[in-house]
Amino acid sequence: MADIDTGGGGGHGKHGGGVRSKKMSTRVDLTPMVDLAFLLISFFMLTTTLNKPKAMELNMPKKVENEDEKQDVSECQVMSVLLDTLDQVWYYEGLQVAGLQKTTFAGDGGIRKQILKKITDVPKNCPPMRSGKPREAVILIKMLKGARYKNMVDILDEMDITGAKIYAIQDPDPLEEEAVANGGNARAVEERVSQ
Amino acid sequence: MPRIVPPRKNPVVDMTAMCDVSFLLLTFFILTAKFKPQQAVAVDVPIAHSQKTFTDAITILVDKDGKAYISLKESQTRYAMIDELVTRFGDKYPNLKTLTDEQKKIFSLTDTWGTSIENTNTVLALPPNEFKAYQEKQMQGIPFDSLHSQIGDWVQAARYATDGNIKIAIKSDKNTSVSHVQQIVKSLTQRDIHRFLLITTLSGGGEGETPAEGGEPKTP
Repeated sequence: MADIDTGGGGGHGKHGGGVRSKKMSTRVDLTPMVDLAFLLISFFMLTTTLNKPKAMELNMPKKVENEDEKQDVSECQVMSVLLDTLDQVWYYEGLQVAGLQKTTFAGDGGIRKQILKKITDVPKNCPPMRSGKPREAVILIKMLKGARYKNMVDILDEMDITGAKIYAIQDPDPLEEEAVANGGNARAVEERVSQ
Repeated sequence: MPRIVPPRKNPVVDMTAMCDVSFLLLTFFILTAKFKPQQAVAVDVPIAHSQKTFTDAITILVDKDGKAYISLKESQTRYAMIDELVTRFGDKYPNLKTLTDEQKKIFSLTDTWGTSIENTNTVLALPPNEFKAYQEKQMQGIPFDSLHSQIGDWVQAARYATDGNIKIAIKSDKNTSVSHVQQIVKSLTQRDIHRFLLITTLSGGGEGETPAEGGEPKTP
């Protein structure tokens, strides 16, 4: 293949005779050059396409003025997830803050497990909707003041991973804030409020 | 009858044409490749497994201290955006009406913008070297409190400039307090903008699958 002829030329004959230059081949083997070019092409192609930024979608609800359009949600469906400033996750089911429990974002046994459990439990345990359809889990995400943005992305990512269909970002109410501040000892808070 | 003898072929293939083509492609890719624009604002994006890519977005950058900036890729769109801002919000911000075409040009060549609308004229009138230094170090961020959300004004201007064909992306540092981001989102939902893109990076880099455990705990 390599066609570069490096033969030492016609040679200067010792024994008289005219200098006869050997006919040299002008062909250059371009294969390695093509190899190199394609290597560079693939490099540039890959680096230009892989550099696109990734994003997750966040759809905020529109304000609903019409009473009929409001969703029919029962207490049984609801699970509240609270994010605090220490990267911890707190959750409780229904409306009873007293059931507040602490967990983490860890992949196994963390909040993901609880959400998955809620998703499977709700259609079984809750009475169907007025329209007769089975109920689905509703996750309320509440971020306490000073929570990091990373935690918000993490919990939205969990929604994506677990496939939770109905979730909403809300502001925490003072009772929840106090409960988390008290390290989950919400019962005391709730009793004080009810008195 | 003479037998047909297949002509002897030289097994050497001429690579010249292939070489031409490959170098043509190579030049094309080198020329179209864009360098990563120098980031005016350092933003360390959180990790998520989502893989959605997007094009044509106005990016709202939020840095660690909760300062907000806007960033648009195409300089033509940037020019159209400031034009729209002047026509739509000229009454709200009278200083915009005195912007010269030259100043708009300077704006359209700036990738990231982090100055309140009131100070836009002053900043765009700076001499080039001072302007550069300002862009690199002294940007104050665009105000976004719910009453005077200038971020909202910019986003609306960008939507007018592109006939609504622009997505709104939020690129925030992972250590930013979430309340800043929520406030921006709130100020935009007030203007009937409900769909956002949160820019993330693919998981696997650095902190791994369980970000909360590997992450650096920060107690404010």
